[in-house]
Amino acid sequence: MRERTTSLWPYLLIAPAVAGGAFLLLYPLLKATVISFQHFRMGELIRGGATLAGLDNYAELLAGEEFWRVLGRTAVWTAINVVLIVTLSTGVALMLVRLRRGLRLALMSALALAWATPIIAATTVFQWLFQSELGVVNWLLVTLGFDSFRGYTWFADGTATFAVLVILVVWQSVPFAALTLYAGLTTIPSELYESARIDGGSGPQIFMKVTLPMLRQLFALVASLEVIWVAKCFPQIWVLSQGGPDGATTTLPVYAFKVARVLHRYDLGSAVAMLTVVLLAVALVSNLRRMVRQ
Amino acid sequence: MRRLLLNMAALAVLATTVFPVYWMFLTAFKPTRDIQSATPTFWPEHPTLEHFVTAVEAPGFWVYWRNSLVVTAAAVVIALVVALLAAFAVARMRWRGRSAFVVAVFAAQMAPWEALLVPVFIIARDSELLDSLAMLSGVYFMITLPFTIVTLRGFLAAIPAELEEAAQVDGCSRLVAFRRVIFPLLAPGLMATSLFGFITAWNEFAFVNVLIIKDQDKRTLPVWLSSFRDVFGTDWGATMAAASLFALPALLLFLFLQRRVGTGMTAGAVKG
Amino acid sequence: MNNRILALAAVFALAACGATEQPQNAAGPVKLTVWIMDGSVTKDLLKSFETEYEAAHQGIDLDLQIQAWDGIGERVTAALASTDAPDVIEVGNTQVAQYSASGGVTDLTAKIAELKGEDWLPGLAQPGNVDGHQYGIPWYAANRVVVYNKDLWAKAGVKEPPKTRDEWLEITAKLDRGGDQGIYLTGQTWYALAGFIWDEGGDLAVQEGGRWKGALDTPQALAGMDFYRRLQALGKGPKDADEANPPQHEVFAQGKVAQIIAVPGVAARVLEVEPKLAGKMGFFPIPGKTADKPGTVFTGGSDLIVPAASQRQEEAYELVKALAGEKFQTELAKAMSFVPNRTSLAGVLAGDEGTAAMAAGAANGRATPNTPNWAAVEATSVIKQYMTAVLTGADPATEAKKVSDTITTTLNSGS
Repeated sequence: MRERTTSLWPYLLIAPAVAGGAFLLLYPLLKATVISFQHFRMGELIRGGATLAGLDNYAELLAGEEFWRVLGRTAVWTAINVVLIVTLSTGVALMLVRLRRGLRLALMSALALAWATPIIAATTVFQWLFQSELGVVNWLLVTLGFDSFRGYTWFADGTATFAVLVILVVWQSVPFAALTLYAGLTTIPSELYESARIDGGSGPQIFMKVTLPMLRQLFALVASLEVIWVAKCFPQIWVLSQGGPDGATTTLPVYAFKVARVLHRYDLGSAVAMLTVVLLAVALVSNLRRMVRQ
Repeated sequence: MRRLLLNMAALAVLATTVFPVYWMFLTAFKPTRDIQSATPTFWPEHPTLEHFVTAVEAPGFWVYWRNSLVVTAAAVVIALVVALLAAFAVARMRWRGRSAFVVAVFAAQMAPWEALLVPVFIIARDSELLDSLAMLSGVYFMITLPFTIVTLRGFLAAIPAELEEAAQVDGCSRLVAFRRVIFPLLAPGLMATSLFGFITAWNEFAFVNVLIIKDQDKRTLPVWLSSFRDVFGTDWGATMAAASLFALPALLLFLFLQRRVGTGMTAGAVKG
Repeated sequence: MNNRILALAAVFALAACGATEQPQNAAGPVKLTVWIMDGSVTKDLLKSFETEYEAAHQGIDLDLQIQAWDGIGERVTAALASTDAPDVIEVGNTQVAQYSASGGVTDLTAKIAELKGEDWLPGLAQPGNVDGHQYGIPWYAANRVVVYNKDLWAKAGVKEPPKTRDEWLEITAKLDRGGDQGIYLTGQTWYALAGFIWDEGGDLAVQEGGRWKGALDTPQALAGMDFYRRLQALGKGPKDADEANPPQHEVFAQGKVAQIIAVPGVAARVLEVEPKLAGKMGFFPIPGKTADKPGTVFTGGSDLIVPAASQRQEEAYELVKALAGEKFQTELAKAMSFVPNRTSLAGVLAGDEGTAAMAAGAANGRATPNTPNWAAVEATSVIKQYMTAVLTGADPATEAKKVSDTITTTLNSGS
């Protein structure tokens, strides 16, 4: 990196990004913040003239049971998904390094194919896969001898719907994480592995002592990106279950959307969103700190 | 023995990864009779195009297709240009406020877009930008911008600054150096990033419902797909054909860029 | 009616409007945008109305857009809040109250007399009226009847339609054999459940001293749900879906289903899928608890509203007048088997088996709780989820308590 310049150039270069962010992100965000402190419902959206409500919306939210239930569910949802994604993609990445060229290329293409499938198309496909009467998943399970799955209605049961959504999100997320980690693995000099092996390290030991430290940054990045993406994941859930059945798949973004767009409580919805941002920022604060230091 | 196990595992992963996509296309090509049979077939024994005909003839397909393409392409191109400038400033220059900018970009990825629907609607209404594809592109541009900057910065950082300096020593201006030296090296990165932007913008449907109101023929393909499912709910063949047609541009773009994306993704991600 | 064709009509309408998308000058035609819900009007009727209306009103260009149900609430809200809204919008009678209360809809109280509002169907007029002001103009109504397959009845040896609920269960059990389903009733057909609950003397929600309270946990409501469960079990209707998913007329058209609960207009849609069923469909009102009166039914239907943000208020009102007027009402009722918006027009339905059954049931028609917040209860699908839970084995009393509490909260959350 060069010495600090006092030229105007860097500022000119970031100007378009800053301008775009100011008008299309910061301004709406400020508006949403203001709305979260107002009495702002369908009437106010249409007629205007919202009045200040102070902390009423936040108080209503934090006093209600539902918010805490949703928050807990979001935490579980994020944890399950991120753990599965990181574990599986690490496995796949390690596998990719060891595969022969032909199979490796085939697997990489397959991963990228899944990654490139648009979310809404993939979600529609999963609805079809898990359809109760003609779905191939039920057929497979019955064929394998699990007879209780004959005509099983996945989307009637909260836990089952939750599970289908986890499978869907993991299926969609593993490719990016696996390809990224694989890329990272290829940058580790093979001498390091050899010397570790000469020292008599077993497979898991080598992973813990060589691979992990070398890729700590990369793991942190992948994990925090996945935390953001999974916690904020919305279209899959909305299209597949609309947060149902019985709220079993209502995570924070779905809750915010429902409160705002379905109940027309734009004020309360904004409050949910603001809290989501704060929580995510807190959860990822160490990562942010690292970026500042960099 | 180990190799065999490894290969078996790899094949299993391959199969699970590909199967949903394969099943989508397969169902789309199967005649309804085969789709509804109690024992599924895993190979198109009697391939048919009837479901695609149903899907393409469904109202609005071509108009929405065109809108989606226009909006997505505009968003992706603008995001790439704007992000490239910013990424260059971050990766190659030192200046006051740089780290604050980096944090802001990272934080921008946390933006709760679903909650910004109403504010964005109000802004669009007050700026008379409702029913405008430009506004829609603008929003998609902003949704993809932070990730684009982060990734491009990674790619740029991976290219040794010495290359550029050498060119400048040879008498090129900084701009020329960038165009001749950096840009070709950056091409894979640009493509990988554009694919991400493309997929994100191509998918978005929540904003269409609030930004496009009176002018129905400005709606986009995801909206078409969801109303298609309303109408053709049981017709899984037609629904899968519609989903295939929706997925196709992204998959084609991916096939076209695959090589570069593979290497590009690598370089960008590592330096993240 | 055929959705595909209908929607195709919308595309043609769109293509036409795309071509005329220039700024309107004083001499040019005035474009009126109208939102009509998918499934409300046949393509032919829409087209002939458009031609006639444009011929009779020089300088008016109608843009009739068919709206999909998916996400309609958001779109209507956004339209009402915009500065250049569609000029006339069709909204469901359970939704109209919340829009009317929002302040975004033009008050048409002064026009009631001109629109001959004295004998409007109360199930349509009341929800469109907030604090004495009429915002929603009644358009059409329909209630559900039982549609049956005469061949399957003959095969099972059933001759007479049932007069009471008990007979109905008996007959349906007889019909439910071999590959045939006695009744195809999806788990989330909540209008049907509402009817059973009303018959038992219960309600979906009740008002007590200015506060609303969900009432699905009352013994009456639980009895209604229990009847629903017993009936639903006499067929293979999916427990986790509503009648639109898959569209039940398609299922009925396959000829393996003895009965469905639907508006009589469904017969036309069935015939589009399977013409061979012509003349093979019979209708009877949903049976009540006793033979002396048919079951209570939910009166469904639509109102028309003019958004306050429409830039063509006068032209929009003229159009509402035509759509709600006697001539179009008669045509609509005949084409769609709907009940017209005024009781004095009911005579046009005479002579049709399906609509006769509907009219018999309509005498016992009721509406959902009259509060702007009811739309939110529907939009969150809580009743549907409650039904699925009970049908898949959960304890009815516990689930009913849960859903009633949710409804209480939603109805009292203000707007």
